[in-house]
Amino acid sequence: MSANVNWRRGARQLLPWAVPIGLLVVWQLAAQLGWLSTRVAPAPFDVLRAGWELAASGELFVHLWASFVRAAIGFAIGGGLGLAFGLLNGGFRVFEQLFDTSIQMVRNVPHLALIPLVILWFGIDEGGKLFLVALGTLFPIYLNTFHGIRSVDAGLVEMGRSYGLSNWQLFRRVILPGALPNILVGVRYALGFMWLTLIVAETISATSGIGYMAMNAREFLQTDVVVLAILLYALLGKAADVAARALERRWLRWNTGFQPA
Amino acid sequence: MTAPNQEELARVAESATLSTALSTTRPASGLALQLDAVQRRFGERVVLDDLSISFAAGEFVTVVGKSGCGKSTLLRLLAGLDAADGGRIESDGRALASLKEDVRIMYQDARLLPWQSVADNVALGLPGRRATVRALALEALAQVGLADRADEWPSQLSGGQRQRVALARALVHRPRLLLLDEPLGALDALTRIEMHRLIEQIWREHRFTAVLVTHDVSEAVALADRIVLIEDGRIALDQAVDLARPRSRGDAAFAALEGRVLDRLLAVQALNPRNQIRGRVSAIRVGDVLAEVEVAVTDVFGNPGTVVSTLTARNLQEHALEVGAEVLAVFKSNEVALATPR
Repeated sequence: MSANVNWRRGARQLLPWAVPIGLLVVWQLAAQLGWLSTRVAPAPFDVLRAGWELAASGELFVHLWASFVRAAIGFAIGGGLGLAFGLLNGGFRVFEQLFDTSIQMVRNVPHLALIPLVILWFGIDEGGKLFLVALGTLFPIYLNTFHGIRSVDAGLVEMGRSYGLSNWQLFRRVILPGALPNILVGVRYALGFMWLTLIVAETISATSGIGYMAMNAREFLQTDVVVLAILLYALLGKAADVAARALERRWLRWNTGFQPA
Repeated sequence: MTAPNQEELARVAESATLSTALSTTRPASGLALQLDAVQRRFGERVVLDDLSISFAAGEFVTVVGKSGCGKSTLLRLLAGLDAADGGRIESDGRALASLKEDVRIMYQDARLLPWQSVADNVALGLPGRRATVRALALEALAQVGLADRADEWPSQLSGGQRQRVALARALVHRPRLLLLDEPLGALDALTRIEMHRLIEQIWREHRFTAVLVTHDVSEAVALADRIVLIEDGRIALDQAVDLARPRSRGDAAFAALEGRVLDRLLAVQALNPRNQIRGRVSAIRVGDVLAEVEVAVTDVFGNPGTVVSTLTARNLQEHALEVGAEVLAVFKSNEVALATPR
């Protein structure tokens, strides 16, 4: 009985991986049987071998680290600004009046369209890439924070006031926790934009990073390295999402929707 | 989450008895209230119209009235959540607004912070060191019988338990005026009676002034020293309740008073010209249990029509209606429903 339950639980945990693994098997077979030219796409094992070789030489980690640092700094700047503006504009009508229209206008410009301008401003140094990542992550966090603050239960705010909370206590104990589920949704969106922006920024002008590694490999027709880079992005994206979910589980423990089943 | 340990609970029980001892030796701490020509308008609509009334210190007053009569507005004024457009609300010469620390309110929904534990919810807004504050919160929770649930989330409690936590949260501030805005409206009948006992017991212990807004006349009779009926922003009835506590619903005097207030409430409603149509009985059909009375009426445009009222056959006998009699068809404005006949 319990073995059966364990087996079922195991099966449930493996189920989400069935489709990706199945695709990989088909891909490997297609490459080995010669249906798929290695010029189009390398066999999964070739990608693995490329990954192993790059890891062994240490080059892989240099690029990974470079990308990670860019992503982290850009996210911290953009996310921090988004959070700050979201809290200010959500909390005070004056700031909303002052900033919201401008932010909405900038938001509607595709930030990747700024690349030529960014190169002119920052050259091909780190500054430009950080700027783009920050710009890409600012808006999802801004919008969700703003919305989160505005949708905090007015009844709870009124209760807090009538129970003698100061403005700071009201923010700290009622408004911020009430907005947190929305803010974390913004964080997850922003993490997606973070990688997207970084890929583009690194393929255009960089001397390190996964994007640079992929562009460099393209020059030498190393499709295995190109695919490796794409897979790394997928894994990094997944890792970021897992981290965001962990935050949700930790901060939203009270919410039955996030309780482990 | 960990439950509070035995030692902690024992300490709480000890301090709870101690505080009971304190509160019985202390003179009554309730706020006396004087309302003088209080007015509240929303745009053109006058919700409270020159309302003047006094509450004695430690008195338990219930305010009844149909929905929209202004009773909740009155409570919000007392709580300082809204400002009056005219008149004065004072306690022995001091404006009530300056005594906010002495006033606490319980809402219809418990309004607990879902992201804080039960104990932290009760401790909300209490100044002091964390350990002191927690001890006070546990003491208040012990008084409402929930000390063992202190470290759970509000979502793990039932509706009645949440309202008990809300009561503890109000009590922990030692209010001199406790305002109750239909706090039991959403609870089932049994839980409600339990809550009546609890509120009454706590009120007798702490001697605060209590103002309870409700639409449940039986609840009003069970708890109140005085029942105030508000209609169209004015006081329509101010009835003292001289029944010994604790009160039993089966009691004849209880039932008689409940009936009297209810009749008065319904009579007041019938006077509202918006919810009634004058007509003559055109037919009466009596079945085994139910009876139908058909009333020929004329609407505001002069068109003739029929209103059919279904009532019990027994009720019909009491009214002694006959065909041709002039009657008023009265509706509850918030309970008119339209249906398509099959």
